[in-house]
Amino acid sequence: MSKELIMMLTIFVPVAGSAAVPFIGAVSARARNVVSLLLVAASVIGSFIMLPEVLSGKVITVSKTLPLGFNLVFVSDMLAVFMALVSSVIGSIIVYYSWGYIKPYRNQNEYYFMVVLFIGSMMGIVFSANLIMLFIFWEITALTSWRLIGFFREKDYVLKADKSFLVTVFGALMMLLGFVMIYGQAGSFDLAVIKQTFASSPVPNIAVILILLGILSKSATLPLHTWLPDAGVAPSPVTALLHAAVLVKIGVYVYARLFVSTINIADVWYTAVPVIAGASALVSAGAALVDTNLKRIIAYSTVSQIGFIFLGLSIGNETGIAGGLLYILMHGLAKGGLFLCAGIVEQKTHEKDITKLGGLAYTMPLTAVSFMVCSFSVMGIPPFGGFFAKYFVITGAVTAQQFWIASTFVAGAFLTIIYLLRVFALTFLGEPKGRAPKEGSFVMVSSVVALSVLSLAGGVYINYLTGPMQLTVQQMLGLLNPVRGTQTQVMSTNNDKQYVLYASNKIKGIPSRHSGTISNGVK
Amino acid sequence: MNGLLQFFIITPSLLAAAAFLSPKRIKGLREGIALVATGLNLYFALAYFGRDIYATVPWGGGLGLDFSLRLYGFSSFIIASAAAFSFLITLYSSVFMYKKEHPGQFYLYLILSVAMINGAVLADNLVVLLFFWEGLLVTLFGMIFIGHKGAYKTAMKALIIAGITDLCMMLGIALTYYLAGTLTISKIHLPMSFGASVAFIFIMIGAISKAGSMPFHSWIPDAAVDAPLPFMAFLPGSLEKLIGIYFLTRISLDMFQLSAGSWVSTVMMIVGAVTIILAVMMALVQKDFKKLLSYHAISQVGYMILGIGTAVPVGIVGGIFHMLNNAIYKSCLFLTGGAVEHRAGTTDLRKLGGLGKVMPVTFASFIVAALAISGVPPFNGFFSKELVYDGALERHWIFYFAAVAGSFFTAASFLKLGHSAFGGKISEEFKKIKEAPFAMLVPMVVIASACIVFGLYNSFPIDKLIAPVLGEHAQSHVFSGFPHNIMLVAITLVVLAGAVLNHIYGVKKTGKGLGAVDHIHHAPVLSTLYDKSGQADPYDIGMKLTGILAAGLWYIDRGIDWLYNGFSVYSAYAIAFVSKNIRGASYSAFIIWSLIGAAAVLAMMFGKS
Repeated sequence: MSKELIMMLTIFVPVAGSAAVPFIGAVSARARNVVSLLLVAASVIGSFIMLPEVLSGKVITVSKTLPLGFNLVFVSDMLAVFMALVSSVIGSIIVYYSWGYIKPYRNQNEYYFMVVLFIGSMMGIVFSANLIMLFIFWEITALTSWRLIGFFREKDYVLKADKSFLVTVFGALMMLLGFVMIYGQAGSFDLAVIKQTFASSPVPNIAVILILLGILSKSATLPLHTWLPDAGVAPSPVTALLHAAVLVKIGVYVYARLFVSTINIADVWYTAVPVIAGASALVSAGAALVDTNLKRIIAYSTVSQIGFIFLGLSIGNETGIAGGLLYILMHGLAKGGLFLCAGIVEQKTHEKDITKLGGLAYTMPLTAVSFMVCSFSVMGIPPFGGFFAKYFVITGAVTAQQFWIASTFVAGAFLTIIYLLRVFALTFLGEPKGRAPKEGSFVMVSSVVALSVLSLAGGVYINYLTGPMQLTVQQMLGLLNPVRGTQTQVMSTNNDKQYVLYASNKIKGIPSRHSGTISNGVK
Repeated sequence: MNGLLQFFIITPSLLAAAAFLSPKRIKGLREGIALVATGLNLYFALAYFGRDIYATVPWGGGLGLDFSLRLYGFSSFIIASAAAFSFLITLYSSVFMYKKEHPGQFYLYLILSVAMINGAVLADNLVVLLFFWEGLLVTLFGMIFIGHKGAYKTAMKALIIAGITDLCMMLGIALTYYLAGTLTISKIHLPMSFGASVAFIFIMIGAISKAGSMPFHSWIPDAAVDAPLPFMAFLPGSLEKLIGIYFLTRISLDMFQLSAGSWVSTVMMIVGAVTIILAVMMALVQKDFKKLLSYHAISQVGYMILGIGTAVPVGIVGGIFHMLNNAIYKSCLFLTGGAVEHRAGTTDLRKLGGLGKVMPVTFASFIVAALAISGVPPFNGFFSKELVYDGALERHWIFYFAAVAGSFFTAASFLKLGHSAFGGKISEEFKKIKEAPFAMLVPMVVIASACIVFGLYNSFPIDKLIAPVLGEHAQSHVFSGFPHNIMLVAITLVVLAGAVLNHIYGVKKTGKGLGAVDHIHHAPVLSTLYDKSGQADPYDIGMKLTGILAAGLWYIDRGIDWLYNGFSVYSAYAIAFVSKNIRGASYSAFIIWSLIGAAAVLAMMFGKS
């Protein structure tokens, strides 16, 4: 099969296949569960097949020229494949976990349909190189998440689902206006055309603000974040999906795609976005320390950690961007694990208030250990993967001479340690309150164990990640020669699987904020 | 990697997992694996002793991350000492932990800690160092956690304090990378500009916190009560001091060009002096064997930081030598405390007494270690303290005064401790207890004899191990042998004699060993200070402030949420109300107005281009 076909399959197998899920469900529940997992797994497999080719510096493109710049373009480069892998791998684990979690509830056909469509449209967003296609998939995720958040159909829950829908769609419409402004100048929605148009001059600030409103609302960043804790009323695998694999990662991905790798933005944003992210990281970390609802606390933690991702992506140097990408991966694994653990606790105790929980570690040891491991990773404690992500992000900020912003984030990291330990201690330690519940089912516990093992592996085998991560950043910043598919820019040394970039620090004519600081140290 | 990675990090890590997973049914297997692991580690440490090896594997290419390890004089010396302590403590634990809960987890954490410490000491890249350094948090948390059911609170406290200071260190390392342009430790030699000073302070916070200095100390006395005792001898007692002071020395001597006149040096000396005095004052009034020792574990760090902070060669040599000596006598003291707990079942000094008669070997080891920590010649502590005094006096007499006053109280508190635990009358219930088991005695006696050997033959550690660390700074100085400044020795002896007189006075007044320092405890001003000291835990204050900050942030968050749940809803109602009451309004009119508005917006946007 050609790589182009594989890319299309990666996107459209789950998107189109999701429609078949309810029909299969009408026949057999078990077949539906398996098919749902296979549909998502197709994206995992597709991404893995593309990985070697993409890592060698090639870019896979499918395009069909349409009038008025509405070109239909899908592009698969390192960033896209990276993001697709993170989302689909974590998404598959969540679908697998759902087999155990969602079993007792009604409307399962709708559930699997929405989940598969959700993950599929994430693939669509990731590979779209056209703003209109991107917007369409973006809105599909808004619709599916609206249905999924209100899945339990209680009145209060539906209101909260409405709230998240309204906030994110408001953001999306603002973003659409921003896209229209860009179209007004570039005459096309094709990212390649847009990139050429804005190669020399930055995009007008008003367009940046509008697009940022969309990104920040989707990625739940201050002041558009409060829908995310409220969305904790959703079933736990859905919250895991929202927080770890798909929804909030859409915003950061589009930031990386648009503002890091495609268009120039004015210098002020290299300070303004980190400041917003810092405020977001700090405020929500404080809120996480006060709240007493298990899932809301973890949700606030996501808002806080998204701040770290934005810091890395927006600070404008290679270390920071690599850190931001690594953070997306590590946070996805760890936060997915935390939510799935919370789901086990919730299902077994029917209690979300951590002040009424306690001592669960004695009866649910595996869940407790997985929760602890994932917490350690989010806190950034080695040997778990979160450590390197945090280090790179902080170093990126310091290297960009933003010492005060870096300090703010370190303060946010202090709070992270405190609130996660508080949650862990109140839920799993101390004296058991009420009946001691049993450990969750095999399907659910094995999912959380898998995520915590991946968090550990991400830290111990970091050497396999840093090389590709750095290449991805180089490609995003255009430091690799953008020759499609003909020339290999990467020399892979034979023994240690690491990558040496040819003359990466000798490339001339790169905007100053991207260059120099890494390989040459200080300028 | 020339065996460094395999022998010092991977092998112990695998054996740690093996010890954890080994089946419970086979008696002694777990202990056996642990002994093999630490024994092998000691063997490698000695086999590699004094060699110069540099090994590196690129990790992150241009991101500055190389997995590089470097074995040279100083690091091989620290590795060897750490290996010796961990082997002896494992031997001791094989008896002590035998009937305790969670021995599997205990050995897992212990051996993993050894691997992490090896990694942190060998690392020649700041991020690799931080990786292992911060990784110790996990084993620290685990080891306190398994103490008993309520120990998790102390474990959390330790993790929060150590985690926060390690994040400070991360910030310092990021700043150092920015200033120096490299993460390779052996290539960093920064002059003390303002930025470098800030970076130094942040890294120093991590280093002295690992060593257990004030104000990052308060988990140690709690852990003394909650954690399994070998843990105290192992991490806070010896190994954390070794690596904390090791890295403090590295940053002071190699990475930053610390000079005696800089404000950073003064800050370090103040931290050291304050730590000495405050911690020893707290140790003085403790009524529990382990808690008293834990405050000394804090107080002694003060001497090391003071010594290195002087930034004069004699002080630095004294600080490093004191680190080594402290690890020796402090682990010995903790082990004697463990022996007492093992046999008597308690470490409460109000209940103990007269154990010297039934546990003579333990008592003898205790005496040797207590004399060493009090700085009595010719034990090792005397020589290192004299060097620190010398360095402190070179900077300012006030630091010297603090150090000497610390010695007075140290001696007084050990007189009290020895008298109340081993001296005095023995109660009926303790008459039947036996000397500690052989496997516990061996480590105590070996370590205690090291106190004498390192005192009498101090030229070996000083000339062979420590002076080379200073490189050219130490040339033409002689630090070993008997102190040159006889005046300082005389003052030390007078102070020690004063402590003895003070003890005799106190015992006469109250009639028992435990009351020997009551006249200090109840002295006019001090008694109020002591009463208030319970509320002065920097951790509690910090957590209280964090709570206030979090509450404020929570209100900000709720305020923002109100914009959605309240403001936007009400304004929608208000707009609806107003537009409903516009005369002659109809749906079609509203739709037309909306479309005109939308068209205007679009026109404005396209118009810009």
